[in-house]
Formats: sequence, structure tokens, C-alpha cells
Amino acid sequence: MIRPNPAILILCALFAIASASLSFAQTNDSTEVSTFENADQPQETAQTQTPPPNNSQAPSLEDLGLSPSQTQSDPQLQARLDKRAHMLKIHQRLGLITAIPMIASVATGFGAGGKSTSTSDRWAHLALGSVTGDLYFTTAYFAIFAPRIPGTQTRGPIRVHKALAWIHGPGMILTPILGAIAFDQKSKGEKVHGIASAHGAVAIVTAGAFGAALLSVSLKF
Amino acid sequence: MNIKFLIGLLFFAAPAFAQADHQWILQQSSLTYHVSHPLHQSEGVSHEARGKGVCHQGQCDFLIAVPVKSFDSGDSNRDLHMVQAVRGAQFPLVTVRTRLPEDAGSSATVHADLEIQFAGQTAEYKQVPLQLAKDGDNFRITGTVPATLSDFKIDPPSLLTFPVKNEIPVRVEMTWHAEK
Repeated sequence: MIRPNPAILILCALFAIASASLSFAQTNDSTEVSTFENADQPQETAQTQTPPPNNSQAPSLEDLGLSPSQTQSDPQLQARLDKRAHMLKIHQRLGLITAIPMIASVATGFGAGGKSTSTSDRWAHLALGSVTGDLYFTTAYFAIFAPRIPGTQTRGPIRVHKALAWIHGPGMILTPILGAIAFDQKSKGEKVHGIASAHGAVAIVTAGAFGAALLSVSLKF
Repeated sequence: MNIKFLIGLLFFAAPAFAQADHQWILQQSSLTYHVSHPLHQSEGVSHEARGKGVCHQGQCDFLIAVPVKSFDSGDSNRDLHMVQAVRGAQFPLVTVRTRLPEDAGSSATVHADLEIQFAGQTAEYKQVPLQLAKDGDNFRITGTVPATLSDFKIDPPSLLTFPVKNEIPVRVEMTWHAEK
């Protein structure tokens, strides 16, 4: 009969424990890898994730406790942001272009309302004013109809930019109306009077607010 | 074969198998990007980075992730534009992976190879100098990642038709806590 050697028995037991713990560790490792892959799955279609370092010990995104809202790709939001950025880019460019006829309108306005003004001065001022108005409202359209991003609180210089729109917006409606009345009075050979006499002042305030709005997002203060 | 030797070897080897990995947890962080424009110098800061380091066999693997939209420049319009420009809704995280030797903490400066995933691209920055300062069980790490827009194929955003500079250095300040 073969008598079992206690040392061999202990050795076998230790090997059994060691191999069990190793296989358990391997199971954990494989689980970790697959969960890492699963964690990246939603982003895979959109995001080209490179694999983690070839080390099962390396931490994964799941280990960091980030919420799904922080890790999930949102192509719809990206499309909305792209559209918003595109529209605001046009808004920005048109705003700059609008400033040119606006400055010219203000400059020609000084010569359009005086005693010795000619018809051509008034017509030039009218044409520049019309171009300014058309460009202004086209510019405004791209800002007003740019998609809003839910959950965004307005902070920083953009608040000043938006607040100034409450001055130059009504001003850009009022200025042409007053200008039309003034033009009519002047064409009849009358002196500009009544509410039309505010045309110049309203136009200057409007142009000032517009210029300030432009600078508010251009210069840091 | 000497049975006693084998038993002894196993007893000594077992703790090595069973040894719990040394871990680092990112406790506090401040990541600041800097953007230069002819009319502006802007900075955006995030304190929402999460990070973990796992040390094994003398090497520590670190992973840091920060949500793109957590960067705050003090201007909501600029922040939204930044998220759009870097495709932050599609790729909501910036992740940084690096591997450092476990004894790196013994020196004041460590040069790390960083693998950064951002805006759907991966860029590697070799030998980025990071300053280390030990404070009890914590390590404070500071440094600047010399990131550029072109590294991540990001079209430079423009203001008043002037694009921003390609360089967007990211200042890193992190406090790591050791967990055993």
C-alpha cells in the first residue's frame, strides 16, 4: 500500500490554491477587458478609440466612475452645435459687413439734413440706410434663429452683446421710419420737424449700440 | 527534488501573487487650456477630471478623463463654440494615458509619455516634463502639455475672421492620493 507523504499533500493543496487563484484572476481580467470594450461600444461608431495599453492592470474608463451622460456620444447635439456655429459665423461676418454701410450712412447723414443739402445727398443717404437696414435684419435673423443649446446659462461678454440688441434692435426699426418722414418733409421743401427731427439722434444711438455690441465680443474687458 | 525547497518557494511566491496592487486616485485637479487670438487671450478651466493609477510589478498605469464640456472660460458662447469646434458632443471625453515607473516619485521631475485621446483623434506627447511634490500620502503633479489644434485635426476657430493660434498649451495641476 502506498502511504501518502504529508509534504506532497501540502504541496498539492498549495498548487490547487495557487492555480485556482490564478484562474480566478484571469477570469477577472477577461471580464475587465470585455467591460472596457462594452464601455466603449456606444462611442465606437462615432469615436475611434485606441485600445488601452496592453496591460490588464491598466485602469479603464469604468473605473473612473464617470456617469453615462458624461461618456455617451451625442451626434444630435453635435449636429445642433454645428448648425449653431455655422449660423453664428454668418451672423458675425454679416455684422462686420453691416458696419461699413452703417458708418457711411451716419457720415452721409450729417450732410443730408442741413439747409444746403442736395437731393443727391439725401438719395445717397437713403440708399446707404436701406442697405444697412437689409444687412442688419439679415444679420439679426442668423442670431435669432441659431439653435439654442438646452441647459446653457448665458455668461460673460455675450450678455452685454445680447443686452445691446435691445437698444440697436428697436433703433434699427425706428431710424428708417423717422428717416422716411424726414426725407418726405425735406423733399417737400419743409424743414425737418416733429418726431422726424429725432432721426439723427436715434441713428447715432443705434450705431453706437451696434458698435459697442460688436466690440463687446471682440475685445476682452 | 527537494520537497522542502518547493514548499518554501511556494510560501514565498504566494504573497507575490496575492499582493494587492498599489493604486493612485486623483483627488483634485485643475486643467487649464490657453488659446491665443490677436484680440484675445483666453483660458478655460476644468476641475472635473477623474483619474486612477494602478501599479504592478514596478510600473504604474494612469488613466485620466475629463469631460470636454466641463471646461469653463467664463464666456458661455465661447465654451459652446469650443465644444462644437472640438466635436465635444460626439467625443465627450478627453482621456490621457501614461505609464510611469513606480519609483518615479523619488525625483522632483518626471518625463512622461502621454497618449491623449481628444476630438476623436489620438496624439502622443513624448517626454513631457512634470514636476512632482510629495505631501504625505499625496503627490502634487504640475506641468504643461504642449498640445496643438493640428495634433487633433481641429479646425482653428476664428473671431472676426482671424483664426486662433495653433498652440493650445494645457496647464495641469493634479493631486493624487495613494491607496494601498
